[in-house]
Amino acid sequence: MGQFALSVVGRDRPGIVAEVSRVLFELGCNIQDSTCTILSGQFAMILVISNPKYSAAAEIDTCFDTLRKNMGLTVSLHALKDEEISREKGFEGRPHILSVYGADRPGIVYSVARELARLQVNVTDLNTQVVGAGDLPVYVMLLEVDIPAGVDVKELEREFDKIRKELSVSITVRPIESLEL
Amino acid sequence: MAVLPIRIFPDPALKEKAAPAEGVTAEVAAFIDDLLDTMRNSPGGVGIAAPQVGTPLRIVIVDVSEHRRGSRERNHGLLILLNPEILAMGGKEIVREGCMSVPDYTANVQRAQWVLVDAISRDGERKIIESTGFEAVAIQHEMDHLDGVLFLDRVVSVKTDLFRRKKYR
Repeated sequence: MGQFALSVVGRDRPGIVAEVSRVLFELGCNIQDSTCTILSGQFAMILVISNPKYSAAAEIDTCFDTLRKNMGLTVSLHALKDEEISREKGFEGRPHILSVYGADRPGIVYSVARELARLQVNVTDLNTQVVGAGDLPVYVMLLEVDIPAGVDVKELEREFDKIRKELSVSITVRPIESLEL
Repeated sequence: MAVLPIRIFPDPALKEKAAPAEGVTAEVAAFIDDLLDTMRNSPGGVGIAAPQVGTPLRIVIVDVSEHRRGSRERNHGLLILLNPEILAMGGKEIVREGCMSVPDYTANVQRAQWVLVDAISRDGERKIIESTGFEAVAIQHEMDHLDGVLFLDRVVSVKTDLFRRKKYR
């Protein structure tokens, strides 16, 4: 069995998911994990797929040519090794949500991400968007992170204070309280 | 005392409507003990419903008093509810839920922020319980199991897109 990472990007319109899934179905591919969203009018799909017959990307890559030619989609495919695939989380930590927003300026993502990386805080989900009126763009970044056991949220807050002042952004850190029922 | 096996979706027991419990007989009391043991045996478990162990009876147990957030809110401690009915509900709260019967998956679900519940207690007495916050959410999740409804049926967002959603409203 071969496993692949597949990404598809193209101008958003109805029918993209149907066409992509048709090609996968006809190939006998199984969609394991996927996430798809619209980014500035582009529909972006990232999927992990598997196939019982094929294990090299070159064996099936041409099957996506119809998507490329007929739908103008950018499709890329690469094979994944078994050890690269996991259903387990690689890093343990307490889940938190971070909201970061402020007047748009360069370096917001990097400043926050650099501190998180320094403290070994793992980013598990991230999305950013420019919102607000055209002449006063506001940058909004939402992250879900896992904070490792050795890191105190207060320490994180102290580092964020520097970023808050430096970039005039609001940053809030809240634990994600989930209910196991 | 016994820990019962948890039914995991797609077990059809999880999609059935449960029948009312006809009083607290010795048999029902023993079952409630086992159900409680089963809930306590699950790490972080704050609630359980009879259909989750394959018993189609309208019995739920909730106890948020040991939960990180639940313990900070007003709560009733251990609640054992037979034939619960929601009399009134209000407010909205989005909570990330997980379920023993749907392993490895959590999702954001919209629930009422407070509920007024009519139920029979373990002593066989009829009680009206007012609950808010996490406890109220747990009660609603467990009561859904009595009607074959899973939290997956109530997911409100596929990601944490609170800002994004505002824009489209």
